[in-house]
Amino acid sequence: MKLIWLRLLALGQISLAAALVTAAEQPKHLDPVRQNSAPEIGAAAVPFELKTLNGKPIDLSTFRGKPLVLNFFASWCDPCREEMPLINDLAAKAPAIGYSVLAVAVEDSRSAVTQFAKESKLIFPIALDLNSTVKRSYRIFGPPATFFIDREGIIRDIIIGPLTPERASTALTHAGIGR
Amino acid sequence: MREKTLFVRDKEVGFRLALSLCFLLILGGQIAQGAGSGAATALTFSSEQNLGRIDKNPSTPFLRYSPDGRLHAIWIEDDETSSPQGTASMEPHRMSGDRAPSPMRNAVIASSADGGQTWSAQRRVNTEVEAVQGEENGPKIAFDSNGRAFAVWSIPGEKGDKTRANIRFAMENGRGAFTHARTVNEIKDAARFPIIEFAPDGNLMLAWIDRRIDNPKPRQLYMMRLSPEGKALTSNYSVGQGLCECCKLGVAFADGGRTVYMVDRQVDDNQIRNHVVRRSLDGGRTFAAPVVISKDGWQVPSCPHSGPSIGRDSHGKLHVTWFTLGRSEKEAGIYYSLSSDGGKTFAPRRLVHANTAPEILYTTLAVGDDDTIYLAWSNLDHNKRAQIFLRSLSADGQSWSAIEQVSHAPGNASRPVLAVLKNRLNVAWTETDGETSKAVLRNAVVTK
Repeated sequence: MKLIWLRLLALGQISLAAALVTAAEQPKHLDPVRQNSAPEIGAAAVPFELKTLNGKPIDLSTFRGKPLVLNFFASWCDPCREEMPLINDLAAKAPAIGYSVLAVAVEDSRSAVTQFAKESKLIFPIALDLNSTVKRSYRIFGPPATFFIDREGIIRDIIIGPLTPERASTALTHAGIGR
Repeated sequence: MREKTLFVRDKEVGFRLALSLCFLLILGGQIAQGAGSGAATALTFSSEQNLGRIDKNPSTPFLRYSPDGRLHAIWIEDDETSSPQGTASMEPHRMSGDRAPSPMRNAVIASSADGGQTWSAQRRVNTEVEAVQGEENGPKIAFDSNGRAFAVWSIPGEKGDKTRANIRFAMENGRGAFTHARTVNEIKDAARFPIIEFAPDGNLMLAWIDRRIDNPKPRQLYMMRLSPEGKALTSNYSVGQGLCECCKLGVAFADGGRTVYMVDRQVDDNQIRNHVVRRSLDGGRTFAAPVVISKDGWQVPSCPHSGPSIGRDSHGKLHVTWFTLGRSEKEAGIYYSLSSDGGKTFAPRRLVHANTAPEILYTTLAVGDDDTIYLAWSNLDHNKRAQIFLRSLSADGQSWSAIEQVSHAPGNASRPVLAVLKNRLNVAWTETDGETSKAVLRNAVVTK
């Protein structure tokens, strides 16, 4: 019996030593990245309230009842600038077909976005995510990214990176636009 | 029977003693690792200081020690004539040509003779009102052996497009001010993310990301050389391609300036972004094929805008840090590696800090006089606000210090920069909260 205890004690010491060595070699984390809460296709769009370039409050819930194209962009971002004519085109067609377009500027300033909107003749509402809270809730690892949300507020497609007309067309269909 | 039992017991006790000895040896080794010559440094930080005038929204500080031991900071802030938040600041500026309206921001510089505790009055670097760019594309300074300052920054292009920008250069004129800036990129509206270094051979080296050839899309790495008088020694010349279009560059020298190392983020046809080091053995005229630091496999078609950083220690080892998402979000974080053979190969990456949120992180490093490596980066704190974190790696590469949070921003803190001289370490960053920003500095005394 004593022998068993002695062996168990020895095993414990080996485990402790191994754990110490392993701990020393492992990188130290504060909190690892959280894997839940990703805004996936089929999930409800994360609600938010921001202000527009003109300082007016804008609430995602007010877009409920119509499909919505929700674009995240920045004025310093090359691919964002490249896709803007297409977003503008989608916005121009939106009233006739019955959907909305909303853009959220991330990691940017009011003056820079105002300048960009003027220069690019953007015709859709732009919200400023000045403290990056919406960007984080939509898990935007760098703009652009576009979410296609149906009339019930459910995400039906996500495009990370610049839009193409073909990909946008498919995504619109997924969100119930143009059916 | 008793004898046998005693023998077994003796054998077991011996086995236990041997195991205990092993355990103590391992434990002792771990303790020695932390307390030996390569022990991690301890940092005693001062309280926070603001750089610049708080009502002018300072941001994007960059720090550098000049050869005389003075610490210099350059940052950007709203132009005097601008009203808050881009109303009057949207006035077209005509001073540098007929450019489209842009928010006017100045580059300003100040120096400290006591390691960052007290600062001189700030001076404007750009003599003409310009829309000096910040964030990833902020201004940089370098110094010659006499302590003369040379600066580069980026301004938006003809139509106000900051992705089709120009690089401006100015230097101290010997009378306490700066020369009129000139544009150094020979093809207009094609250059941004400039860096400037005073090479050990006595000449200035400028490098930037260039888009004069817009197809294929991944950008080119361009350089030029200037004399200490600011005269062009070369035209613009290309030394590499395939660069991620909005991620800062890094540079380090060896062999009196004959060897130049550049680090950048590459993007391939499949939108996979790896970080590379390219080496020149002829003072930056030509570069060998880039060497991938780590095959992270980060595939992203969007704009990650967070470039790598490189430093070289007194033994010639190269140290690099970068952010990657890797092949999944589980890998996301700040990484570090080193090369002991002059950039030909790199050690397997080491995780410095895992992402605490879905966010691009910004990282930088500096090498101390004793070869301690200091890394600073942004990450989210427990309140889900971006803050600046710092840790060091001992000169022998064995001991990491604990991760220390150095900012306590009410909004978000990002884009840290470091400067180190002897036992002084300085870290600066930008804090934003809603529509306001400020440039913040903390100084630390390094003790072993």
